[in-house]
Amino acid sequence: MALKALDIYKLLPKKNCKECGEPTCLTFAMKLAAGKADIEKCPYLDEEASRILGASTKPPIQRVKIGVGERSFAVGDEFVQFRHEKTFNHQPGILVAVSDLWPDDRIQDVVREVRDGVLVRIGTDLRLDGIAIRCESGSAEEFSRAVAAVEAKADLPEVLMAADPEVMEAGLSVCGAFRPLIYAATDENYQGMCALAGKFGCPLTIRAESLESLAKLSALAAKEGAPALLIDPSATTLSDYIKKATAIRQNAVSKTVPDLGYPIFFDTTVTGMQDAALALGVDKYASVLVCDRLSIPSRNALLTLRQNIYTDPQKPIQMNPGIYRVGEPVRDSPVFLSVNFSLTYFTLQGYLEASGVPCYMLVVDTEGYSVLTAVAGGKLNETLVAESIKKTGLESEVDHRTLIIPGYAAPLSGKIEDESGWKVLVGPRDAAGVAEFLEKEWKK
Amino acid sequence: MQDVEKSSFSGKAELLKMLDGIEGEFSYEGTAYHLPVTYAITGRAIHTGDEARSAYKDTGGNPLVAAECITSFEQAMHGKEEDPYTGFIVDSVLRKLGYSLVDGSILGLALLAGTPPRPDTAAAICRELQEKYILTFLAGDVISSLVESGVKVGAEYRLVPLGKQPLMGIHFIDIIARVAMMFGGVAPGDTDRLLRYAQERARAFVIVFSGLDEPEIAVYDAFGLLGIPILSVDGYEGKEWVQVEAGDAVGKGLDLKGIRVTVTAIPIPMACSPAFEGKSIRKEEMFVEFGGGRSPAFELLRSRPAEEVTDGKVTVIGPEIEDIREGSAVPLAIIVDVYGKTMKKDYEPVLERRIHNFVNYGEGTWHVAQRDMVWVRISKEAVAHGVRIEHLGELIAAKFRIDFPDLLDAVQVTLITDEKKVLEAKEEAGLIYEERDERIRGMKDTDVDTFYSCTLCQTFAPNHVCIITPERPALCGAITWLDGKIAYEISPSGANQPVLKGDMIDEVRGEFEGVNRFVKKASHGEVDRCSLYSILEYPMTCCGCFECIAVMVPEVNGFLIVNREYTGETPSGMTFSTLAGTIGGGAQTPGFAGISKGYILSDRFLQAEGGIERLVWIPSLLKEELHDRLVQKLKERGIESLFDKIADEEKAVALEDLIEYLARVNHPALEMPPLI
Amino acid sequence: MKVDIISEWTGEIGEVTIGATKKEGGSRCAAIVIGGGSGFPFLGGSAPGRKPLIAFEFCDDPKLWSPIVTEFEGDVVNDAGAWAARAEERHRPDLLRFYLTSTRRRGFQEFSQVGRSVEEVLERSTLPLIVEGSIDPAIDSETFLRCGEAGEGERLLLGTAEEGRYRSVAAAAMAYGHSVIAQSPIDVNLAKQLNILLRETGVPHDRIVIDPYTGALGYGFEYSYSAMERIRYAALKGDEDLAMPMVSSAIDSLNIKEVREADPGQRGEMAVKWELYTAVSSAIAGASVVCVRHPDTIVPLRSAIDSLWGKTGGGD
Repeated sequence: MALKALDIYKLLPKKNCKECGEPTCLTFAMKLAAGKADIEKCPYLDEEASRILGASTKPPIQRVKIGVGERSFAVGDEFVQFRHEKTFNHQPGILVAVSDLWPDDRIQDVVREVRDGVLVRIGTDLRLDGIAIRCESGSAEEFSRAVAAVEAKADLPEVLMAADPEVMEAGLSVCGAFRPLIYAATDENYQGMCALAGKFGCPLTIRAESLESLAKLSALAAKEGAPALLIDPSATTLSDYIKKATAIRQNAVSKTVPDLGYPIFFDTTVTGMQDAALALGVDKYASVLVCDRLSIPSRNALLTLRQNIYTDPQKPIQMNPGIYRVGEPVRDSPVFLSVNFSLTYFTLQGYLEASGVPCYMLVVDTEGYSVLTAVAGGKLNETLVAESIKKTGLESEVDHRTLIIPGYAAPLSGKIEDESGWKVLVGPRDAAGVAEFLEKEWKK
Repeated sequence: MQDVEKSSFSGKAELLKMLDGIEGEFSYEGTAYHLPVTYAITGRAIHTGDEARSAYKDTGGNPLVAAECITSFEQAMHGKEEDPYTGFIVDSVLRKLGYSLVDGSILGLALLAGTPPRPDTAAAICRELQEKYILTFLAGDVISSLVESGVKVGAEYRLVPLGKQPLMGIHFIDIIARVAMMFGGVAPGDTDRLLRYAQERARAFVIVFSGLDEPEIAVYDAFGLLGIPILSVDGYEGKEWVQVEAGDAVGKGLDLKGIRVTVTAIPIPMACSPAFEGKSIRKEEMFVEFGGGRSPAFELLRSRPAEEVTDGKVTVIGPEIEDIREGSAVPLAIIVDVYGKTMKKDYEPVLERRIHNFVNYGEGTWHVAQRDMVWVRISKEAVAHGVRIEHLGELIAAKFRIDFPDLLDAVQVTLITDEKKVLEAKEEAGLIYEERDERIRGMKDTDVDTFYSCTLCQTFAPNHVCIITPERPALCGAITWLDGKIAYEISPSGANQPVLKGDMIDEVRGEFEGVNRFVKKASHGEVDRCSLYSILEYPMTCCGCFECIAVMVPEVNGFLIVNREYTGETPSGMTFSTLAGTIGGGAQTPGFAGISKGYILSDRFLQAEGGIERLVWIPSLLKEELHDRLVQKLKERGIESLFDKIADEEKAVALEDLIEYLARVNHPALEMPPLI
Repeated sequence: MKVDIISEWTGEIGEVTIGATKKEGGSRCAAIVIGGGSGFPFLGGSAPGRKPLIAFEFCDDPKLWSPIVTEFEGDVVNDAGAWAARAEERHRPDLLRFYLTSTRRRGFQEFSQVGRSVEEVLERSTLPLIVEGSIDPAIDSETFLRCGEAGEGERLLLGTAEEGRYRSVAAAAMAYGHSVIAQSPIDVNLAKQLNILLRETGVPHDRIVIDPYTGALGYGFEYSYSAMERIRYAALKGDEDLAMPMVSSAIDSLNIKEVREADPGQRGEMAVKWELYTAVSSAIAGASVVCVRHPDTIVPLRSAIDSLWGKTGGGD
């Protein structure tokens, strides 16, 4: 059971020596309770305290970094079963599989797509994360050739998938310095695989059929010195995956089975229904997803789902403030005031587009709060609006000086007029009413 | 005048005789409910004379049962009456009627029976019933009387002509019984539920003229068994029959059944909408202003007894617009008198606050502040369109009725612009404001056995619930115990629910059995104990909208407080932001508590830990803000000197500096028992 | 040591029946039951509930429908009855959801047509039917009366009741024996409140289906996803006012920029994938009925659901 800050504090030396990097023991205790500090940092811990705290303050799911450089990504460090309890922290990496039976150019087509493909949403570049190289030939030579082919085209994180430690070593000799994920260690080969993981400093995936054997194997692997682990519950069907993944996540965050406290690996290609498996993996606890080449529509839907599920529920996605155009507005087109909460923006934009009337949207920085919240909290106020009008140069875009404000911002209408010198029209409370509003109020 | 009691008695005897004359089989066509009234009351399907007589006996001689059996038998023997008389109405048509009752297009049901004294009496009553969205059934000569005077009858006009005889009024009852069984989930034979449905949902009343024979009187009197009032216009006296003048009949009926027609339009020459809420009226634009320091003004809402409030009445005492010079400041008293069966004195301030919104909804009116600090303006444009001071009253009256249809039965507004009268009334108002403040100020947790919860923030913190007590407001600072209570009474299914204290588990920590139970449920099992007055043991959870955070500082046996507006460092080593991130989200974090500013002044703050003497540090601006009230509080406890010993960021920010400072000023916390 | 899923649920999700067979006075091929279950899908414990069902959405005025779908389906979209028949036969969903988009036209008054359209659809198809009426309070009363009447005996699921606009839907459900879809704006407390209001009006718990409103992927979907999980969670923890089955339909999916502005060659697939990823996720979050508009979404969606819940769909 997770200890509370006060309970942890009671076990600390309480010297406030600051050597852990925190100003007080209480602060350190709070960070430990949140899984955001390392108990090892305290030099004056007694043995008893060390034992109790060591176990309980480790993050429930190990944080593992895969790859190096710009496209590297970290997974793990998760604390909850449901995103609404707090948030999911690290989105899964999605790696596209290639086979060492393929010729170089086929491999490299895939690599290029993953390297260059991008979907831009809300000012963020969404991309797939890397390449999984599968050994199907059984040959160390072919395998290392395939790895080299990948390396030649991009600096992407990789998963090396081979059952034979010798084959794996061959692959690692090509890309081992770039922290690829080794797949996989099983009961049969774990000593060899763990040695490789230790030698190259790479994260290692362990695979077993049942959760009990996974737990046993992870303990063994940790003892063998594997620095970082992922676990693959070997699901071949969607049903199998979700049951096992849910059990793993639950037992990990409740610390009931700490040996399952590792990120989950899911090879969706074995399920025969890749899109559904990928959606399932994103929704339910996968940290590394391996798939076959994706069509653009699949890729876009997948990246968007991942972005959505891994958004922190308490930190709304914000738009950049500024002037946005709907259609091709001209100098007498209407101007709608809106906030920079992405959901509000997109909702309003959608209805404005549907109305068929070209117009401008003046999006102001309310730190991501919706209209109602921003008005109630004082974040949407006349000063912000007046300043935004000036900063964006809106007055040089349109000849008129009329601003349409959201219905719920009505209490600000007079103040905005006074502060900005613009005339204010109060629009509908529900964005769905903009078409009718434009018809009735703007045209006259 | 005919005596109902006597006639009823004789009538019943006659009914029995008629019942005896029934033989063979009979039933209504087009219904799944047999003889609906009898079926609803007894749960038995009656189709023969013997069954009828048996049912009559078993219900203790219920005239409704008798009337129905007799009518059904007659209809089966002789067929239905000719048009326009409907006789028994089949289920499929009834469904449509029931639909309108449930969806609100019909507000209630009425039966008009007998022979009206003059044709236009009935016509006037019918017109009024139609205007009030009542579905009216007719039985007796009233039908032919209406038809002759040119009134159109039929379902589409909501005037349903049941039959030539008042006895056909029994169909009114079988309709109500079927609606209860079709829509109200009333099982046949469940008379309790039937009665409740008829009383609360069906909203039915009967207006009777003369022309009923004795059996009919007995039957109509039995309508009372279903809680349906009988209003007699012309000659029946006794039992519970209500005597009314024809002109008052409908009004009385609506009143008895609590039927209110919702007001939707505001009859003033000015547009009115929340869209105008923020529109201000500048000096150059105003025609007249009231209050705002320029003239005496106040607003007051009072709950009064029914006789003192005439719904919709607006009076202006003193000069009106035409007597006022453009651009001047004039005294104003806005007195809103309300009556409502469920209205309470406690709600007065809550409703009074709405005056501000309502006046601002007017396109040409503007309002600021409350109580005796109000400032109101009416624009030149509004006056040019014909707006007068009385319209301000009409606006307020209408909005109160629109927004509180269930709570308020009548709203009356008096506007005074005569200076002398305003000043007199203002003094009295002042006493009322004082009294209200006293009421909540003096309240103690021990005075009540029910606290109130608030789950408004569960969207952001799914397992958090605030328990609000008279001495501990919600951590957001926005809701007091009284607010919670009123919110619950006005919207029982809303975010504020009652929390029964239950047995006391610990007086000092403020742990109560009922509170624990409630918190366990509301937090979905995450938290099962809550100490209302302790921060160290089982403190209340927090969402994220607390005004301040109280943090333990074990090194000095004390607590510090940091508020949202203070962005700097605190002796705990954490800023408000950092702390908020860790303690929020519905967590129970011993040693830390999210609280409102107001709670700092409460006797219960830090009670379990030994009291306000534990407070060692607070940001200077907050200290300023609380200065007067806090000093007062400390004076009452005989520890006025504590105020200066409490540090702020100007005296110390780092923990070591705080320790030193507290030692220097001899802060009492240092001598108190350690926190852990 | 067996590793197992820990579940401490005390509540159960209620069941709602949609459709009535000839024996029961209707003309549907089956009376299907949705909901039930005392666990999260796959969070162990006893049965996780029935597998989610797929509803195909169509309408009576295709001008107000996505051009991607109307182009794909062809002329049949101009005849609601024919479209219903074709959908049942070719696309094979579990239910049909019929939107009376004609009522969204400005100044709509043709109420008799409403009744006729619903009757036609019922005549030409045998699947249990969901009927979506008007969205304008001014015509709700007439519209829902006709919908209710036309479907009498068929146990329709009628949509959509919202706070402030629920009486007519409730009345139609009560008068003619249908169930109600109760929609709230992605807020668990408001969902609960609406259910309480419906109950007070007389709609029993086993005739309410919750619609927490599903935003399109990329346009608020995650809020809906979490709302569904939270509703399910609260229900299983014993909150009876939220223990109803849920319906999920991301109706904006085909109107969003990513789909509308995709290359013409890819647009169809984009629509399908968008709907698929959304519907699979909603099913996992606890929805009992997931709705789609593009016919091609149904096959992969069904495979996914069958794979997750098992073909006969009792879960474990």
